[in-house]
Amino acid sequence: MDVAWTMHTGFGSWNPALWLAALLIALVVALAIRALGRKDYRKNSAQTKPFISGNEEPAHGGGHIPASNLYWGFLESMKAYYERLVPLHTGMLGDYLVWFLGVLAAVLVIGLVI
Amino acid sequence: MRLSQTLGKSLWTFLFNSGSCNGCEIEMVAAVTPRYDVERFGLKLVGSPRHADLLLITGPVTRKMAPRLKLVYEQMPDPKIVVCVGVCGISGGTFYDSYNLAGPVDQIIPVDVYVPGCPPRPEAIIHGVVTALAKLEQAEKVS
Repeated sequence: MDVAWTMHTGFGSWNPALWLAALLIALVVALAIRALGRKDYRKNSAQTKPFISGNEEPAHGGGHIPASNLYWGFLESMKAYYERLVPLHTGMLGDYLVWFLGVLAAVLVIGLVI
Repeated sequence: MRLSQTLGKSLWTFLFNSGSCNGCEIEMVAAVTPRYDVERFGLKLVGSPRHADLLLITGPVTRKMAPRLKLVYEQMPDPKIVVCVGVCGISGGTFYDSYNLAGPVDQIIPVDVYVPGCPPRPEAIIHGVVTALAKLEQAEKVS
């Protein structure tokens, strides 16, 4: 088969037939792997529940993990930095311009001195 | 490698610390690392009780850990073996009269083999596991 045939379909590598075939192959592989698993589990028992370090599974909707959890460690390790930086973010354009002009002046002075 | 006809595969082990001082864990690490290397027989530690055939328990079972130990035991597929490692799990050990104890282990879940010691040597732990395996096979033959 000409490897470039898909280029003539107008879809390029996004040819839906190719993607459908790939998905079907992935599905067959996934089902084959699943079929290798154990079948002697007792249904509707703890044996089919997910393992959460021995904790009970929370009810659906009962668990809430805010996005801030993902970078909690980052914020915690740089707490001293953020404690100073966050209050400076007033959201007022005038404050930011003052900071900009101040830093610019400092850079110019340093540049002139050096 | 098949250690057991009953299990039909390698013996996968889940380690549960129910409040141990970690002394028993150190001996277990000695058992699985090159000095004793039980992994060469297929006995390896796994991260989920749902994959495990053997439950190795250390510690006297604190109140917080009791419901978790019960759930972990229930989550293991059948047939399963429970080995209680260390004197704390057998009798409470030095914590026997603690206000915070729900154990010892056999008051929470059934135990197949007890391995005494504080902590038990790796040889004793390995012997306990082999004894539990033999007990399981015997029970299967009888049934």
